Amino acid sequence: MFAIEANGQKIEAKKGETILQTLTRAGINVPTICHMEGLLPSGTCRMCVVEVEGFGGLVPSCSHPVSEGMKIRTNTPEVMQTRKTIIDLLLSNHPDDCLYCARNGNCDLAKMAADNGVRDRTFQGERTKRPKDISSPSIIRDPEKCILCGKCVRMCEEIQGVSAIDFVQRGSKAYVSTAFNQGLNVSSCINCGQCIMVCPTAALSEHKYVDEVLQALADPEKMVVVQHAPAVSVSIAEEFGFKPGTDFDGKMVAALRRAGFDRVFDTSFTADLTIMEEGSELVHRVQNGGALPMFTSCSPGWIKYVEQFYPEFVPNLSTCKSPQQMMGAIIKTFFAQRENLDPKKIVSVSIMPCTAKKFECERPEMGRDFVADVDYVLTTRELAELFRIAGVNPAAIEPEPPDTPFGERSSAGKLFGASGGVMEAAVRSAFCLLTGEEMKEYKIQDLRGMKGSKELRVKVGDLEVGAAVVSSLGQARKLMDEIKEGRKDIHFIEVMTCPGGCINGGGQPIGADTEAIKARMNALYQIDRDDRLRVSHKNEWVQRLYTEFLGKPLGHKSHELLHTHYHQREVLL
Amino acid sequence: MTMTKKILVVDDDIDQLDHVALILKSEGYDVIKAQGQKEGEEAILTAIPDLAILDLMMENMDSGFVLCHQIKKLYPETPVILLTAVKSATGVDFSPKSSGAASWIKADILLDKPVRPEQLRNEVKRLMA
Repeated sequence: MFAIEANGQKIEAKKGETILQTLTRAGINVPTICHMEGLLPSGTCRMCVVEVEGFGGLVPSCSHPVSEGMKIRTNTPEVMQTRKTIIDLLLSNHPDDCLYCARNGNCDLAKMAADNGVRDRTFQGERTKRPKDISSPSIIRDPEKCILCGKCVRMCEEIQGVSAIDFVQRGSKAYVSTAFNQGLNVSSCINCGQCIMVCPTAALSEHKYVDEVLQALADPEKMVVVQHAPAVSVSIAEEFGFKPGTDFDGKMVAALRRAGFDRVFDTSFTADLTIMEEGSELVHRVQNGGALPMFTSCSPGWIKYVEQFYPEFVPNLSTCKSPQQMMGAIIKTFFAQRENLDPKKIVSVSIMPCTAKKFECERPEMGRDFVADVDYVLTTRELAELFRIAGVNPAAIEPEPPDTPFGERSSAGKLFGASGGVMEAAVRSAFCLLTGEEMKEYKIQDLRGMKGSKELRVKVGDLEVGAAVVSSLGQARKLMDEIKEGRKDIHFIEVMTCPGGCINGGGQPIGADTEAIKARMNALYQIDRDDRLRVSHKNEWVQRLYTEFLGKPLGHKSHELLHTHYHQREVLL
Repeated sequence: MTMTKKILVVDDDIDQLDHVALILKSEGYDVIKAQGQKEGEEAILTAIPDLAILDLMMENMDSGFVLCHQIKKLYPETPVILLTAVKSATGVDFSPKSSGAASWIKADILLDKPVRPEQLRNEVKRLMA
């Protein structure tokens, strides 16, 4: 530690830090647009410039290392005017459709302009005309709103290892695009939506289906059934001003009913079902020499990633459909029969923290007789929008339980919302299925937390199983490359596309920092700690579903409805 | 013995036309290609398509709509897909799913360009099922 001076005050700095890190720790706010926590600085936007005594010009604080004795000023007239000019220039070419913009109310650029006192248009720049890309079922790109900060490009390349988008051309002609400037729909984009989460404007947003769902809700001929994913209840409260980690489970169920949904089911139910099927599949593979290690298949971004970048690992993917698609399949079969309904009269809606789920529900293999298992997927953000349009305030409603038969869940199923949760749920059930006993302590600390890569060796009876958990596809790629190079001690691998898992999915409320993500994660752990039912195999309705309809795990009916196949995919790279 | 299904594909962009035709031929369909509204109008007088895939903006901004009306008038049972970039280009949503549009747009579905091969294959199969 050494001392520096900032705005006339002595503060402590650490060797190796950037000026920005030191100032932020000392509580001095320096605005940035392009800065991304945990990545090397790119120095693109220049918003974070500061004055350093003895330096000729202004210094970008995000990329300049702090050194002993530095005298820094962050709010001189020159610094403030420079920031203002940068924003003026960004706005000179920006569409003025804020009222209709997808980011109305939470636009970083608008906030930056307000925070820096920009209240007039200084420069009237020539508008760049570029068409929107609406081809993808998950993500919409609007290049006219792009301010070229590069965060989406870095997220896609450095965190996710996909590189579906990059800068094209140079200087004032530069823009962000896909390979050959074709639509995202035919690109290598895996639909994770992490680019949306870092975009400061609405240059990237989700493909919305709120209108379609509202139309279905207004149709008296349709029964509209909704399922909600484990990670949604611990994040949607943020959309209504509550602190991260507030659990709105029962309130959200009640609000969905007030909005007009005929049945409300919990996707955690089919997370429990997934454990039964996936656990059986793993045992079957071990006993019959099937492809190992086996990868989980809950995360549709990860599935597309394997299909296009690692097709040699397709046989290693679990054949289980994701919990969303399992729920969709049993809604349009078992539930339809039970209610004596034509499946075509059921509109199956799913509330997910994820944009890739929109792509997943469109996959041709996810349905029967051209009836899709899931008709529309709304993100957490879209659900909040639907509640507002429908005039429903979940905060003011008394909690209600979900509907039977797919409302009962274990807290193990709820843990699917955090990275490591699938594995923790699987280990709890596998232990019981193989030893006949319950684990003394259900919590598995090694599988918890925000670390991108976690490993565990489990001794179950005579069998020692190597388990790995990775979140973000950059982490998945590292592990797959190790396996390709001969690593053989891992048998079962949980992969979540988004860093930290679904709690940080591309459909979650925008603007959450690491602490907010941790709070969502801890909320799931808290639910698990307090729950009376903590293992998937004891979910009574899952057992009844097998008795009354499916038969047994991996049985004929399960294969038909709950399993699928994946295949090599050709995309524009 | 079942007859091979005939699909009419109309697009003024020859690359797009060939691309769609290639996807459909690989599935075993007979493909009738027409490069624009005029060729499309001639084609429907000589062959009855089992399904038609039409671009929207060709010789005129509404070429696809006009052709769609003509096809539905002659062959009401023939499903029609509008395969278009109109929403990207104009910002106007002509999807038959949107309220109001279904009353005058005679197409069965609208797909936004570019389309994934499996997406197109699935919609074609669904509409002819």
